Amino acid sequence: MQVYKAFFRIIQKNRGQILIYLVVFMVLALLLTNAYNPPQDTDFTKTRVNIAFINEDDDSQLVAGLKNYLGEYANLVDLPDDSQKLQDALFFRQVEYILRVPEGFTAAMLNGQDIQLEKTIVPDSPSNIYIDLLINKYLNTAKTYVTYLPELTQTELVSYLKTDLTKETEVTVISSDRHSDNAEKSSYYFNYLSYSLFAILILGVCSVMLVFNDTDLKRRNLCSPMRAATMNVQMIFGNISYAVLTWLVLIAASFVMYGSYMFTTNGLLLLLNSFVFTLAALSISYLIGNLVKSRGAMSAVANVFALGTSFLSGVFVPQELLGPNVLMIASFTPTYWYVKANNEIANAVSFNADTLQSIFTSMVLVLAFGIAVLGVTLVLIKQRRVEG
Amino acid sequence: MVINVKNLVKRYGDLIALDHFNLEVQEGEVLGLLGPNGSGKTTAINCILSLLKYDKGTIDIFDQPMTPDAYHLKRDIGIVMQNVAVFNELTVYENIDYFCGLYISDKQTRKKLVAEAIDFVGLNDFSKFYPKKLSGGLLRRLNIACGIAHQPKLIILDEPTVAVDPQSRNNILEGIQKLNQQGATIIYTSHYMEEVEQIASRIAIMDKGKIIAMGTNEELKKMIKSGEHINLELLNPGDLDLAGINALPHIISAERRDHQLVIKSERGKNNLIPILDHLKDQQIAIGKIYSEPPTLNDVFLEITGKELRD
Repeated sequence: MQVYKAFFRIIQKNRGQILIYLVVFMVLALLLTNAYNPPQDTDFTKTRVNIAFINEDDDSQLVAGLKNYLGEYANLVDLPDDSQKLQDALFFRQVEYILRVPEGFTAAMLNGQDIQLEKTIVPDSPSNIYIDLLINKYLNTAKTYVTYLPELTQTELVSYLKTDLTKETEVTVISSDRHSDNAEKSSYYFNYLSYSLFAILILGVCSVMLVFNDTDLKRRNLCSPMRAATMNVQMIFGNISYAVLTWLVLIAASFVMYGSYMFTTNGLLLLLNSFVFTLAALSISYLIGNLVKSRGAMSAVANVFALGTSFLSGVFVPQELLGPNVLMIASFTPTYWYVKANNEIANAVSFNADTLQSIFTSMVLVLAFGIAVLGVTLVLIKQRRVEG
Repeated sequence: MVINVKNLVKRYGDLIALDHFNLEVQEGEVLGLLGPNGSGKTTAINCILSLLKYDKGTIDIFDQPMTPDAYHLKRDIGIVMQNVAVFNELTVYENIDYFCGLYISDKQTRKKLVAEAIDFVGLNDFSKFYPKKLSGGLLRRLNIACGIAHQPKLIILDEPTVAVDPQSRNNILEGIQKLNQQGATIIYTSHYMEEVEQIASRIAIMDKGKIIAMGTNEELKKMIKSGEHINLELLNPGDLDLAGINALPHIISAERRDHQLVIKSERGKNNLIPILDHLKDQQIAIGKIYSEPPTLNDVFLEITGKELRD
C-alpha cells in the first residue's frame, strides 16, 4: 500500500491549506444557516372583519339567518343607512364591507329566482374575498335546498342551513409537526455543503495528483515492478478514503446542529444525497487533478469551479429565483440535481412513490455524472500512457 | 548476459535519436556510457527500461525480452534518473521506504534495507529531513538511495552527478564502485569523461545515437594515433616558429595558447628532445614542461572531429 500511504502523507503535508478551507467553510455554513429564517407559514389565526349589514327586505328568517351566520365570522357594525355616513365609515376603515339586502330578496330566493346582493367595499382589501366566500357559501347552500326540497318552510330551511354550516371539518396540518425549522435549515446547510465539498476535494485530490503526475516521479514509478493497475487502484482507494473522511467531518456538523432530525427519513435522505454527491464531486476532482499542471491553476480551478457551479445551481440563491436559461445550463452540473433533491427532501412532509421517485432520480443523475466523468478520466489516463 | 540490445532504432519525427544502437553488458561489469549532450544516452536508457517505445530492434535483460509488463525483470533493476525523482512531501527515510516498498513488500526486510541504503549514501543525519532542506549533493545521494535500496542486480545510473559539488561527486563515485564490488552490474551514463575513466571497467562512447567506440580505457586510447600531450610554458614566445615545430617528425599538432605551447605527438614516439632543441635554436626560454597521457576526449575528437563537451 505504498501509493495509498504516500497519498495520505501528501494530504497531511497539505493539511494546513485544506484545514483553512474546511474551518472557514464550516464556520460560514454555521453562521449562514443559523442566520437563515424560514418563512413562518405554519400558524393560522382567524381575523374578524368589520362589516355593515343593511336590510331593505322584510325581516325574514332567511335574512336573519344570513346576518347571524355572518356575525359568527365578522363583527357586525351598526351604521345608519345614510350614503355619506356609509362612505365615511369605509374611508376611515370603520367597516371594510357593506352588505345591502335588496327588497324582495327572500321571496326571490325561495322562488328560485336570481337576485343580486349589493356590496360596497374598500378597494383591494383581501377581507372582501373572505366575506364573499361566506355569503356565497350560505346562499349556495340555501339555493340547493330550495331547488331540491321546494316544500321546505322558511323555518326549516334556516334550521337546516344553521346545522349544515356549523359543521366543521377538522384539519390536521401535518407539516406543522414535521416540517420544522430544522428541515429548512438543514436543507440550506446541505446545499452549502456542496460548495465546501467541491473546494476541499479539488484541493486535496489535485495536491496529490500534481505530485504523482510529475513526469520524473511518474517515470520512476513506471520502472518499478508494481503494476500500473495496482497503483491506480491504490490511488482511487486513497481518493475515496479522503472523500469519505471529508464527508464525515462535514456531516458531523449537521448532527451537532440538527440532532435527532438527522435520524428522520428526511435527515437520512439528506445524508444519502450528500454521500452520492461526494462521489460525483470526487470523480470531477480526479479529472481536474489529472488536467491541472500547477498549484496556481489548482487553487484557481477549485475556486472557480466550486463557486461557479454553486451560483448556477442554486446553492446561494434559491433555484426558484433563477432564470430558466440559467437552470438549463445548471442542469448539466451535478450540483443542480443535488440541490434539487435536497430541496425536495426538505419540503417533503410525507414520502410516497412520486416524491421518492423524483428524489432518487436526481440522485441517480448525480451518480451518473460521477461515473461518466470517472470514465472520461480513466480514458484520459490511458490515452496519455499510450502516447507516452 | 545482463543486457543485450540489438539494432535499436528510435526516431522522433525526422530525427534519429538511436541509429541501430547495439550494446552488450556482462554480469559484474561497470559499463560507462559516455557521450556529449544529445548523443542519445538517456534515450537509450529509457528504451532499455521500456519507458519509451522504439521503432526497431530488440532488448533483452537477464536473457529475457524487456517489455513494459516485464515486472519480474523490473524487480532486479535499480534506476537512478538524471532528474531527481523524489517526493518533496516525504522525508528522506519515507522516500527511500516508498521506493523500496515498490519492490519489497515485507516490512522487516524493507526496514533493514532502507537503513542500509541510508548508511550507504551517508544520509544518517538527514533521515528526517524533507528533500527541500537538502543541498544539491545530498539530494543526489537521496536519489541514488531510492534507486538502490532494494539491492538490485542491475543498476542504471543516468548522469547521477549533474550539478553536484566535487566532494559529493567523489562520494557518489566511491559508492558506485562499492555497489559493483558487492556484485551489482552497473551502467553509468555521463558526459564527464573523468568520472567514466575513474569507475568504468568498460566504456562505450556514443555520438548521434550510435556507439562509435567501445572497450576498456586503455583499449580506447590505443585506438587513436595520438600519444602524450607535451605542455610547455614559454617565457618569451614572441618569435615562436610554430610551422617549424609542426614540421618535426611524429608531431600531430602544435598549438600556441598565449604563453602555453601544447604539442600532440604520435603514440609511442618520444619527441621531447627535438622540440627542446628547436626552441633552444630560436632562443625561447622555457618555464615549465609537463606531459599528459591521451584522454577519452582525444579519442572522441579523433573519431568525430569534435570535442566531447561540444
